[in-house]
Amino acid sequence: MKIGLEVHVALPTKSKLFCSCSMEDSDNPNSNICPICMGFPGSKPMLNEAAVRSALGISNALYCKINRKISFVRKVYFYPDLPKCYQITQMEESIGKEGYLELENKKVRIRRVQIEEDPAQIVRKGMLTLLDFNRSGTPLVEIVTEPDISTEEELREFIANLRSMLYYLGVDINKEMKADLNISVGETRVEIKNVTGIKSLIEATRFEVERQTEAIKNNEKIERETRGYNEKSRATESMREKETDEEYGYIYESDLSTFDISEMKHADPVYINKIAAELAGDSEVNPKTIREITMLNRSALAMIYRFRNRYRVRSIIHGIQRFEKYSDSTMKEEDSDRIEKLVKLIDEGKDISREIAEDIIAGKEVKVEYSDVSVEEIEKMVRKFLDENPGVLEEYKRNKKTVNLIIREISSKNNLHPKEVAAGAAAVLKSIAG
Amino acid sequence: MKSYINEFLGMEKPTDYYSGLLSDIEKLNKEHHFITTLNKDISYEKDGRLPFTVKANICVKGFETTAGSKMLRGYLPPFNATVVDKINASGRFSFLGETNMDEFGFGTFGLNTEVPARNAFDNDYVAGGSSSGAAVATAMLKYHVAIAESTGGSIATPAALNGVVGFTPTYGAVSRYGLIDYANSLDKIGVMARCAEDAKVAFDTIRGRDRYDTTCSVETIGNKKRKKLFVIKELMEKAEEPVKSAFERLLDRLGGNYEISEIDSKIMDKAIAPYYIIAMAEASTNLAKYDGYKYGFQNEDTNRKYNDFFTDARINFGAEAKRRIILGTFIRSESVKDKYYSKATQVRGMIIREMRSILEEGFIISPALPIATPKIENASKLTPTQNYAMDIFTVPPNLGGFPHITFPYEYHDGLPLGAQLVTGHANDYALFDFVSEWEELFEYRFRHNLGEI
Repeated sequence: MKIGLEVHVALPTKSKLFCSCSMEDSDNPNSNICPICMGFPGSKPMLNEAAVRSALGISNALYCKINRKISFVRKVYFYPDLPKCYQITQMEESIGKEGYLELENKKVRIRRVQIEEDPAQIVRKGMLTLLDFNRSGTPLVEIVTEPDISTEEELREFIANLRSMLYYLGVDINKEMKADLNISVGETRVEIKNVTGIKSLIEATRFEVERQTEAIKNNEKIERETRGYNEKSRATESMREKETDEEYGYIYESDLSTFDISEMKHADPVYINKIAAELAGDSEVNPKTIREITMLNRSALAMIYRFRNRYRVRSIIHGIQRFEKYSDSTMKEEDSDRIEKLVKLIDEGKDISREIAEDIIAGKEVKVEYSDVSVEEIEKMVRKFLDENPGVLEEYKRNKKTVNLIIREISSKNNLHPKEVAAGAAAVLKSIAG
Repeated sequence: MKSYINEFLGMEKPTDYYSGLLSDIEKLNKEHHFITTLNKDISYEKDGRLPFTVKANICVKGFETTAGSKMLRGYLPPFNATVVDKINASGRFSFLGETNMDEFGFGTFGLNTEVPARNAFDNDYVAGGSSSGAAVATAMLKYHVAIAESTGGSIATPAALNGVVGFTPTYGAVSRYGLIDYANSLDKIGVMARCAEDAKVAFDTIRGRDRYDTTCSVETIGNKKRKKLFVIKELMEKAEEPVKSAFERLLDRLGGNYEISEIDSKIMDKAIAPYYIIAMAEASTNLAKYDGYKYGFQNEDTNRKYNDFFTDARINFGAEAKRRIILGTFIRSESVKDKYYSKATQVRGMIIREMRSILEEGFIISPALPIATPKIENASKLTPTQNYAMDIFTVPPNLGGFPHITFPYEYHDGLPLGAQLVTGHANDYALFDFVSEWEELFEYRFRHNLGEI
C-alpha cells in the first residue's frame, strides 16, 4: 500500500501573502480586503517575507534542499472563490525540495515545500452562495510527500511528527489543516481531495484503504479517480465531475520577480523524538512518555531543560504528569512554580497522595515531614528489603545503579528522606557486596 | 531646447483656458474618438497645470477605466496607478482624461475596440495601436503629455503614425502598479509628447522604484553616448516603399554625425512568433479574472451554474481578445507547452543576448513600421497574421525590454513617417539626446494645436 500526502497549513503571519491586509480574524465578512487580494485589474502582488521565512524554516526542518532563488507560477482555473481565476503558487523553484521526515522505522521523502495563496471562502446561506474575501490571500505552506507511507500507523506517526515539528516552528497544524491524499492499495491510484483536519484525514484513509482492499478481494476494478471525503457519512465519495488529468495551464508569474533567499534567516527546528531519546537516556523513563508530554508543549520541554540539573528527569516527568492528571489540563509556563514543588517532593522520594498533589496544584502551602528514624533502623530496613528481594542484590552486583531502586522503595514506603536512606543503603551494601 | 511644458508653465493662461480646451476636444473627439473619459472638473483655478492623459488601461481612482473593453464598461477603479500618483504629486500636471486603445492592448492599428480612434492627420486613416488615443491626443493638443503603454509596439506604432515622439522605457524603470495587464513580462508604461525634452520630463516624473511592483527595480538611468547606428539587414528587407526610400534619406541626413552600418542578425527577424506566444500565454491568464460579478460588466442573472455564468460574462470580449484567450490557453496546455512556450522563452533569451551585444556598440535604428499609414478600410481587411507582421520592427526591443523612442522624420502624402531608435538597458536618456539633436534639424508638423495660447 502506498499513501502520499499534500498537506496545506496556514502560516502564522500578521499580514497576507501578497498584500498588507491583516490576518487577524474578523467577524465582518469582506473587511480585511484590498484591491490586491480581491484581484482588481491593475493590482500586483507584493511578497510577504515573513511567510517565506516561515516556509524556509519548515523546509530546513524537513532536510530539504533549499532553492537559492525562488519564483512563482500561476495555476489557472475558474471558480468563484478565486479572485484572479488563477492562484499564485510555486513549482520547480519552490522554497524546498527533496527532503524527508523521519519516522521510527523509515524516512518519508518530501518532494516539495512551497507557499501559495488561499482563495476566498464560500459561504452557503439557503439558496445563496456568498463570498468572503477575508481569507483570500492567506499564506499557506504546501508540503508534498512521496507515496512512502504504508500503514495507517505510519500515517498517524507522520502526522504526529509533522505536527510537533511545525508546532515548534510556530505553525499550528490543527487550526485548519487541509490535505489531499493519494492512496493505492493495488495498482490504481485514487486521490482524495480537500480533507479538513487530522481526524478526518485518518478516517478518510481508513475508509479508503478498506474500500480498495475489499474491491480487490472481490475482484472489482478500482477506478482511477478523484474522490471527496464526506465528514457526516465518514466515507469517501466519487466526485461527480471526473477530474482526470487536470489542466491548469501553469505559467511563470512574471508580476513577481525572482527572489534570492540564500541569505535569509529562519528558525531552527526542534526534533522531539531525538530530544526525548536523549533525555530518556539512562533516566529510567520511556522516551515515548517524554515525547507525549513535550510534543505539543514547549513549556514542558523548557521546564525539563530548566530543572534537569536539580532533579532527576524521571521526577520532572512524573511531576508534570501528576499536574496534568489532577489539574486536567496541559501545563503552561505559569504553572512551573507549583509543578516544581511536586517535582521536588517526588525527587526526594516522597509518596504524594492525590490530596497533597491537588493542594499543591491549587497553590496551597503543603508541608511534608519525613519520619525521624535512626541510622541503625534504616540499615535494618535495607537488610530486610534485601532479604525479601534476593534478586535485587544479584542485580546490584551487575549494575550499581540498582541502588536507586532500593533507595526509592524504602524512602517512599517509610516516608524517609532519600539522602538518609542512601547513606544507610551504601553502608549495608558495602558490608554485604563489597 | 524645445519644451512645450516649460513654455506653458511660463505663460499667462486665460482663466477659461480649460473650459475652452474641453469644448474643442469634445468637438474633435466626435470624429477622431481619441478620448474615452474626460475629466470635466479640470479647472484653471484648481489646477492651472499642464494637462496629461493616460491610456485607458491605467487606473485613475473614480474615473471610468475600461482598457478599451466592454468587459470593464462602467468600472471605476478604487485606487490610482502609481504613475498617476507620481504625476499628481509632481504639481506640474493636471489629469485631463483617458485615451482610446485596442481592447486590453490587443492591436497594431487601434481598430480592435468598439469605436476606434482615427488618425490625427486624416480620419480615413488608422491611428495605430494599441495606444491609439494617446498618440492622437498628443498630435491634437499643443500643451499636453500622454502616459501610454507598450507591450510589443503599442507606443512606437501610434506615435509614428500620428507624428509625435513616443518613448518606451527599459522594462522595470516605471511601476506597472495600476496598469491593467496585457502581458506582465512585456508591459511597460511609457510616454508620448511633441518633443523629446517633454518626453524626458514626463519619464522622470513617473519613473522610479515602487514597493507595489516588485519587478520595478531599475532606479539609475544612464546616458551613454553612441556614435554608431546599426541597421539590421534582415529586418530592413521587410520594409516596403515608400518607407524604404524615405528611411534611406533619413540615414543620409544622419550620416554626417553618425557612423552607420548595416549588420546581419540571424535571430531578430524571428521575434514575432515568440513574442506572440509569450504575450498570448500571459494575456490568457490575465483575462481569466473577468468573470462578470466583481467589477465592470455584471451578469444580472446569478441563479445558474458557475460555468454557464462565466461563459455568459465572457461573451463580452471582442474577437481579438477571444482569439488570444483561446490561443494563449492552448499554448499553456501541458501537451504543447514545451513546443511553444518553453521554446519561445529560449528564443527570447537569444534575442536579448544578441541585441545586448549590438547595443553595447551603438543604437539600432529602423523605421517604426514596414509600411506607410494604411487607410482604416484597408487595415481592417488584414488577416491576424498580416497584422502581427506589422510589428516586425517594434517587437524585438519590446521582447527584450530595451528602451526605444520613435520620432517623425518625413511626411508622405501629408502623413508622418516615424523612425525608431533602440538603446541598451537603462540607457534611456541617450535616446532623448539623440532625438533632441534631430529636432534641431527637422521641424515636426501638426494639423491641430488645441489649447494654443
